[in-house]
Amino acid sequence: MGRILVCIKGVPKPGTVKVDKETHTLCRKSAELILNPPDRPALEVAQRLKDQANFEVIAISMGPPNMVPVLQKVYALGVDDIYLISDRAFAGSDTLATSRILAKALSLLSPFDLVVMGARSIDGETGQVPPETASLLNLPSITYVKEIRYVDGKFIAIREDDFGEEEMEFYPPAVVSIVPEIDYVRPPSLKRLLSIKEVTPKILTNAELNLDEASIGLSGSPTQVADVFEKTFVSRGEIFEGEPDELAEKLIEVLKEKGFLA
Amino acid sequence: MAECIFAFGQCFEGKLHPASLEILTPLREVADRLNKRLILIGLADDKEKFLAIPELKKLLADEVWYIIHPNLKHLPDDLCERVLVYLASEHKPYGIFFPATKKGLSVAPRVAGSLQAGLCAHVNAFEVKNGNLFLLRPTYGENIIAKLTSQRLPIMATLALNAFPIREAERAPLIKEVKLPEGFDWSTKLTIKNFKPAKKSPSRLSVAKVVVAGGMGLKSKENFQMLFELAKILNAEVGGTRPAVHAGWVEAERMIGVSGVSVRPKQYLAFGISGAIQHTVGMEGSEFIVSINLDKEAPMMRMAHVGFACDAPSFLKALLQKLKAKD
Repeated sequence: MGRILVCIKGVPKPGTVKVDKETHTLCRKSAELILNPPDRPALEVAQRLKDQANFEVIAISMGPPNMVPVLQKVYALGVDDIYLISDRAFAGSDTLATSRILAKALSLLSPFDLVVMGARSIDGETGQVPPETASLLNLPSITYVKEIRYVDGKFIAIREDDFGEEEMEFYPPAVVSIVPEIDYVRPPSLKRLLSIKEVTPKILTNAELNLDEASIGLSGSPTQVADVFEKTFVSRGEIFEGEPDELAEKLIEVLKEKGFLA
Repeated sequence: MAECIFAFGQCFEGKLHPASLEILTPLREVADRLNKRLILIGLADDKEKFLAIPELKKLLADEVWYIIHPNLKHLPDDLCERVLVYLASEHKPYGIFFPATKKGLSVAPRVAGSLQAGLCAHVNAFEVKNGNLFLLRPTYGENIIAKLTSQRLPIMATLALNAFPIREAERAPLIKEVKLPEGFDWSTKLTIKNFKPAKKSPSRLSVAKVVVAGGMGLKSKENFQMLFELAKILNAEVGGTRPAVHAGWVEAERMIGVSGVSVRPKQYLAFGISGAIQHTVGMEGSEFIVSINLDKEAPMMRMAHVGFACDAPSFLKALLQKLKAKD
């Protein structure tokens, strides 16, 4: 049986995130986490390959302990196993340090045929981890995949490019990232939902990964935040108040004055 | 050592992606302030087609280095990485910068991983202070701009699309072919079976002169739809905020912001948009900004050239009524 590893991320529920005032990184511990929405298609794509060619699907996430409930919910989607990669030493990692950690964890779970990730997270929004992790593992990366199938020992993926759509063929193992929105995602299994509280993820800490502390966390991150500042806008123009009708009339007047309306 | 700055020139079928020209504008200034040579690196499969690119002689770089090989036709990510890493190892650039196109966002992280370098995403401004380079980008859903540095060289970043205008140079750059050594590995693990060029040209929204955009202040999908009516009358394109896209009121292709479309229209009319920084960085270059929002203190209201403190759906209804009556 082939193996697919899906890397997922927990992101702060919008409105609950706090930024650490000293390090300027996210306080993930304090936030309520939800599954990064662009990872949902990644999980669906893995399930489709499982349906198509009987792959084992393992969901893995790097995060703090409050990621466990998210992983349990992911188990209800039909994955075969769930892993949490967690260690205080990982906190504050930029995308390079994160990719190092993921690459090591994925190599511990090898051999595998495919690593699947969402195209980006809605908090960091860099989209860098899938290709960066692939590079560290010396594997090809195929980004913005819309659909993928397994045929005669090869993967065939349709991906979006700046100038059009590519149909790309490659042999396993490889890393793919999936576009944030696909046609449909299946609902969780009711049977599994009833039992998720009994399922616990396997935990990998740095004791198992054995990464040099200088290469992970804040110390392993070449990009550092030198400063943050709030974007303030000095009031630029006039603000009109009144009834919608008169204000709409005023806008038309302004647009005419500026030559934007005949 | 660290005397040059690389900029990735994304080529396809004898054309240079405009984003590769945009990024040269801020990089030119950075190179001048730090006394480095700015070099555009072009990877392509056909030498004649490359040299025939019209923008080549007017772009802002000091030099253009081009590398030609048939396998580079579709710019496979693994091969592009190998070529750029080779050049970086040979020339030890101070920085390597990419446009935040799909290709840039796919290749830059591979190069950064190989070089064990930091990589900042969607940078939309630079600062040079005491001989150090700082990269600015919006972050974390709060109204925060982060100022980033890298602890080691090369400094790498992808630059936000549409954040910089294209400028032309006074004199042509030095253009030269770089030949890679005899045993260089030109292989790629990726095979293109089929390529379908995009039916529509790059988003009309990104080049629109007039944009009407809506946020959660419009309260419903039905209300949001009114923007399309308004767009027809004003000959505008419609845009939306991330929450509006998430709510299913408008398609993702119309999202304006950090990971969506960036716009620089002459007119930007914002209906019910508070102005979260992830949105405003996508439109702050607009010439004339109008904001309609109940909250007078909302960032978009303070950013606007003219604001109307009003319920957005009611305003929009009234506006449509009046504009239609004029016909």
